[in-house]
Amino acid sequence: MRRPQLALALLALAAAVATGATASSGAEPGLTANTILLGGTSPLTGPASAYASVARGANAYFQYVNARGGVNGRTIVYKIVDDAYNPAQTVQATTQLVEQDTVFAIFNGLGTAQNEAIRPYLNQNKVPQLFVASGATTFGRDYRQYPWTIGFQPSYQAEGWIYGTYLARTKPGAKIAVLFQNDDYGKDLLAGLRRGIARSKVKLVAAQPYEVTASDVQSQIVALKGSGADVLALFATPKFAIQGYAFAGRVGWRPLIINNAVSNASNIMTAASEGGSTKTVENSISIAYLKDPTDATWRDDAAVRLYRTIMARYAKGANVKDVYHVYGMAVAYETVRLLKAAGKNLTRAGVMLQTRKLNDPANPFLLPGISIRTSATERFPVEQVLLQRWSKGSWKTFGGLWGYRAG
Amino acid sequence: MSRRSLGIAGFALAAVAVFLLPRFISDFRAQQFAYVGIYFIALLGLNLLTGITGQISLGHGAFMLIGGYTTAILISNQDPPLELAGHLFTNDMTDYWTIPIAGLVAGLAGFLFGFPALRLTGLYLALATFAVAVAAPAVVKKFDTFTGGGGGINLFDVEGRTGRSVTDPATFESTEGADVFGLHVASFNEWLYYLCWTVALVMFAAAWLLLRGRFGRSLRAVRDSELAAASSGVNLARYKTLAFGISAFYAGVAGSLLAIATTFVNPDTFPITLSIFLLVGVVVGGLGSLWPLVFGAIFIHFMQIEWAQRAEAVIPNFIPILGDIDTDLPGAPAVAFGVILILIMLAFPGGAAGLLRSLQSLAARGYGRVR
Repeated sequence: MRRPQLALALLALAAAVATGATASSGAEPGLTANTILLGGTSPLTGPASAYASVARGANAYFQYVNARGGVNGRTIVYKIVDDAYNPAQTVQATTQLVEQDTVFAIFNGLGTAQNEAIRPYLNQNKVPQLFVASGATTFGRDYRQYPWTIGFQPSYQAEGWIYGTYLARTKPGAKIAVLFQNDDYGKDLLAGLRRGIARSKVKLVAAQPYEVTASDVQSQIVALKGSGADVLALFATPKFAIQGYAFAGRVGWRPLIINNAVSNASNIMTAASEGGSTKTVENSISIAYLKDPTDATWRDDAAVRLYRTIMARYAKGANVKDVYHVYGMAVAYETVRLLKAAGKNLTRAGVMLQTRKLNDPANPFLLPGISIRTSATERFPVEQVLLQRWSKGSWKTFGGLWGYRAG
Repeated sequence: MSRRSLGIAGFALAAVAVFLLPRFISDFRAQQFAYVGIYFIALLGLNLLTGITGQISLGHGAFMLIGGYTTAILISNQDPPLELAGHLFTNDMTDYWTIPIAGLVAGLAGFLFGFPALRLTGLYLALATFAVAVAAPAVVKKFDTFTGGGGGINLFDVEGRTGRSVTDPATFESTEGADVFGLHVASFNEWLYYLCWTVALVMFAAAWLLLRGRFGRSLRAVRDSELAAASSGVNLARYKTLAFGISAFYAGVAGSLLAIATTFVNPDTFPITLSIFLLVGVVVGGLGSLWPLVFGAIFIHFMQIEWAQRAEAVIPNFIPILGDIDTDLPGAPAVAFGVILILIMLAFPGGAAGLLRSLQSLAARGYGRVR
């Protein structure tokens, strides 16, 4: 008696899962009289789990809105599914959200390849892919092919262009060395930088790629130092940006360092300065569009105070200094505004229509002056930023607003 | 009944159960069990190498990667078309026909890897195979004109050559369905389920036939004592490299199916953790066992997808010794997962197969007493 167990086991299995069948109503998916179901993937585990804060911040804001009556009488239920930053798992998790949980929309899924992997599926099924958490230019540019998709943050190309233009204006003759991640994210930033310094006296003298799977970037930093550059641009995710700072310091290189927004959270900068003991991070330049909770400028700002209250109530134990929570709240705020504008008779198509006419002059979690605007032919919601400089343990913004129209 | 006819009867029953299962579960669950089938194939292969032949591999994700990319490249229309030795490849194969090719390409890679692996044993072999899994994604990015680099290859929009063309899975618009291998299926999920499990059952039967005779005995002899095996006339080099090749063939087929299922490949879809999860699956199923590997496949599929979101609820309620872990901290679910794995290994060192064996002997003893 050995093999029949197999059959028995499989039959038992069949019986066990038979109860798992789901029923969906005939009306718009993901809606009931008093709830809206949103779903999204987030790297709760795996190499990018630091970004899990984004979803946590957004969820805290939705709970706050729900406690105050929700959106047009409906509360928002936000289901977060882990994808471990693996696009194959993003696909599985997203089909689960669409087919099993029947969400109204996919909200703020995180990662470039992750969102590219699910984009055709969502567009074929006419499921909104709202406010993608990636700065890849394609999410704003290719709306004709993918009308059900919209991004949120400034595109990586825009960011690179701003650094390039800033250097061309303020440091003529500068020689730039770039460390970039060898994928669309790193290459988009690099392409933007190139465009920004075109026809100026600033030169790109070296660019070194690294793989996400690399263990460190020491050899790249040594090679970049050897190029004789006086500006180092770190187009790298937090782990590698921190290493970039540390290795530059260790080999005695003191260039002006440009650090991309992906890795400019204050806690990362503090880690890069090895707890404030090294000076490599001083005077680093980066862009900002969020109110940084560690910046003393915003200590008494109403939105940052609200942020702290919401975190204390709905995200107990989370690190309040983590700016990714603010990002999550900024996106959640805009989503609530979008759903309100779409009216009581919510439809997926109606919401997408509203994404084409966003007009929010003052999202409270974004820096003052930054407005969110889209139109039928312009699908990049946040396109304005400020430059900021790291000094004595925090970021200080300087200069006026920078804008970029994607071409 | 002899053991052999019992085996055949069991296999037939299993085939019927697999065939009928989608009638009882939702369309979406069918998709989840399709993934279980994919992992089952990969585990069969890894088990043949690690459980039967005693050669540890921490790099089977790399062979899945080879299979997955082979399939993706053969289906997708490369622009411009690939030209090799004057011959123009149009790369427009239908997805399921690429499965055997993907298996063969991965199998060949595994066979070749088997030669340097001959010189390594135990931990050193584990490290060498691990290195392959670490290096594979970087190699893929290196040849980005061919593989799409970090952005990968998206097969979703490829018209008419993938299972996605069967129907619209969410809304069931255009439910004329399709015939695959003479079987009518109504949705992509059902199509995927039948494809994966048809292949899985064939691969399972092949593994069973392969391991029950002289070949299987030789492999087991290599595992138990290389010296004894060699002195009994077993050619160690031949059997080890063959085991690597066959094992990689299985992994390649699984990788091919994974690419078909997710309609997307990029280097991150075959991370190092995949290789580790495969080894976990083999151990949970039971090293050296065959059909109990299904439990290993179920374990790794549902753990990967469900664990992080359920950890928060499960840890404090069911696993008291982990109650103090702050589940909101990044990495907390992974740490808890590791602890649970250690506990499982301590409690059931033989995996699901070992557990079933001890239940069986317990039952047999019970019978004896009653009589």
